[in-house]
Amino acid sequence: MLKKFTRTNEFLILIIIIVLSTVVGLINPKFFSISTLFDLIRASNVYIILAFALLPVVILGGIDISFIAIAAMSAYATHMFLIARGYTGGILLYFVIACIIGGLAGLLNGLIITKFRLPVFDVSLATQTMWYGFTLFFIGATSNFSIPKGLVGYYANYLAKVTDPVTGDTGLHVSIIFVAVIGVLMHLMLKYTMLGRNIYAIGGNKDVAIRTGINHNKVTIVVFVIMGILSAFAGVLQSAFSRNFNPTLFIGQNLDVLAAVIIGGAALKGGRGTVIGTVLGVLLTQIINRSLVLTQIPAEWQKFFIGLVLIIFTALPALRQKRAAKLGLAVNNEVSGS
Amino acid sequence: MDETLLRVENITKRFGGVVALNDVSFTLNKGESVTLVGENGSGKSTMIKIISGIYSPDSGSLFIHNKQYTKISPIESLNEGIQVIYQDFSSFPNLSVAENIAINNLVLSNTRFVDWKHIKSLAQEGLNKVKVRIPLDALVGDLSAADRQIIAIAKALLADAKLIIMDEPTTTLTRKEVKQLFKVINDVNAQGISTIFVSHKLAEIREIGQRTIIFRNGQKVVDLPSKDLDIKTIEYHMTGHSIDISNLIYSEPKLEEIVLSVEGFTRANAFTDVSFQLHRNEVLGVTGLLGSGRTELALALFGQHPADSGTIILEKKKIKIKSIFDATSNGIGFVPEDRLKEGLFLSQSINNNISAKIIDSLKNKIGFIDGKKKSELSAEWIRRLKVKTPSDELPASSLSGGNQQRLVLAKWLAFNPKVLILNSPTVGVDVGSKTEIHDLIRDLASTGMGVILMSDDIPELMHTCNRILMMRKGRIVGDYLREEVDEEELNRQLIADTDPVRVVKEG
Repeated sequence: MLKKFTRTNEFLILIIIIVLSTVVGLINPKFFSISTLFDLIRASNVYIILAFALLPVVILGGIDISFIAIAAMSAYATHMFLIARGYTGGILLYFVIACIIGGLAGLLNGLIITKFRLPVFDVSLATQTMWYGFTLFFIGATSNFSIPKGLVGYYANYLAKVTDPVTGDTGLHVSIIFVAVIGVLMHLMLKYTMLGRNIYAIGGNKDVAIRTGINHNKVTIVVFVIMGILSAFAGVLQSAFSRNFNPTLFIGQNLDVLAAVIIGGAALKGGRGTVIGTVLGVLLTQIINRSLVLTQIPAEWQKFFIGLVLIIFTALPALRQKRAAKLGLAVNNEVSGS
Repeated sequence: MDETLLRVENITKRFGGVVALNDVSFTLNKGESVTLVGENGSGKSTMIKIISGIYSPDSGSLFIHNKQYTKISPIESLNEGIQVIYQDFSSFPNLSVAENIAINNLVLSNTRFVDWKHIKSLAQEGLNKVKVRIPLDALVGDLSAADRQIIAIAKALLADAKLIIMDEPTTTLTRKEVKQLFKVINDVNAQGISTIFVSHKLAEIREIGQRTIIFRNGQKVVDLPSKDLDIKTIEYHMTGHSIDISNLIYSEPKLEEIVLSVEGFTRANAFTDVSFQLHRNEVLGVTGLLGSGRTELALALFGQHPADSGTIILEKKKIKIKSIFDATSNGIGFVPEDRLKEGLFLSQSINNNISAKIIDSLKNKIGFIDGKKKSELSAEWIRRLKVKTPSDELPASSLSGGNQQRLVLAKWLAFNPKVLILNSPTVGVDVGSKTEIHDLIRDLASTGMGVILMSDDIPELMHTCNRILMMRKGRIVGDYLREEVDEEELNRQLIADTDPVRVVKEG
């Protein structure tokens, strides 16, 4: 069991996280502190939820880039709608309305993809541009800083608080509960429901899945609705953290999220991917982003390092295959001898 | 036992102006096994698709368990217990054996939640029915073709199949695995489940199947007990004319001229200490079961999976083959087993495919491709290899299997190789084209190149080769001159393997 775990992608990411943290910690001891940890978690939460939004799409065998536009549009539209009505309450209603809008936007992706049998990427390229454009033209083009009363302190809604002599007050943000709940639900969905297994089956071999009688269109549509809902959720959360609602929220970050999902072990061609891997993938990219600042390596290098890690993780399956091919006969004999 | 399961009555199906099936009728009893034979385009696949509900017939009807269907939907067909195993085995490479076997049941049962214990017990039940042991947790993508085939059968049985239709199930299996498959099929028949077995391999037809149905040009031309048919008769009915193999003109090797000499060739876990010599004008056969190192040797000679050690001498010059580039630049050509995936640019035109290997030589003075040279080249090879096509501008995918294989050959012949390696060149090619490809291989050798033919189709080797090497467990264990050996002896040697067979004893 333990030996099996050491061969997984997750194990490798853990090792890299530990090595990287140790190195950064040695250079700058400030890295080893509760406040750094809490900051890291808070910053990661939004991206983990975005990665969860994308994960089922990737397992299904698609690459979507529109989810960030859906996140921006849903959060911004919800905000402008509520502000116009003089809303003063908390974040809950924001989540509800945004998730409905996001779900509908995801549904649109799903319908176009299944109805016209188009590739996921092509459709998402179109809808991404469409949603950003739609938001700018119909809803508003500038960031809005008038936050309803109930939302003002939300960014500092901590479960536990620490005071750091250098960086000031910080804490474990309450949103970690959302991540945990969504993560557990996502894991259960992928592993223990027919929907989840059908997603893997379609990602593994679409033609056979259709022949088996799996309702491929329905699964695809549900996956995109889930993507829309979770993206919208992440959009509201990020806006609440930054205390402004921005029509071009997350713009240009879709590939960063995709990179984290791929680092987490999901296969671009579909059929593979796990919740744990995805969480670790996001954590690793976030640590690279934040820790390099502490080591005084210029920010430009962050992208370089994430690219480097991405190369390692995309090369990994190919390397394994090469090894398997070399050991191919031995492996086969083992199987047939049993 | 003689209860009728399926009756096909006067089925006709047209596609545009082409009549794919013309007034075809036959019956199939419970527990009976029928072999369906015919060349490409004879209507076999169309018939399977009508029975499984993918196509609906223009006229005629199906009776399943005495219930009449003028057209049947895929779901109705499944509910009547009709299961088709396609050539790709319908497997999910990323899922476990257990899930692959159980998935039909899960999908049909309409459950929302998955109970992994239930999946494993279902899968075990399926594997018990075929009496074969395969680890349930293994990923199907890691298994051999033979195991994936068995999994497909287990899956069909588990879904309560009454009729299992197998579309060319032995194409990717070696003799020993075919034997195991036949045993499984016999067991299945004994349980009262019928099978339709679609095949191209004539030798197998008499081993499996109580009855043989032959289609030609959309019509049923033969429906007889298999024991009353011999290979010659089957060939005659499939092609509509008889194929004479008694007067084959073999190439005459020049034994004093060695084209290729391989010594101490070794690759870990593939083959060990392989040495042989290939003479000018010689067709050298290399045979052996899957895992014998036959394919691995071919790939090593072509540099795709290079050998770890050993020497290669090509026309008296010592060469190193570490990559495909090394192989081709030394004049070694390779016709792969899977022509669709590895041999052709399917969506590209026929002339592009022919010129692909030698495109550099078609440059004009300013470095552009000379269109006239190119079309002359392609016209010449289309004529020489008798590729049947209305135009060389059509994509390679428009050709039939036999013609595609000729196109692959054309691509390599245009390159004028010193040594041509052919890896199972007639897999999935119908009888008529097969004979023509065999003629072609012998002709090629007589033009002065050395040909190495990897195959486990013994008649094919006997029809083309001058000499045959037998491989077993990565080593060459036999070297036979064609005149001094017969098919039976080769077949005996081929399956004289000491590996334990993985069939679970009954009881």
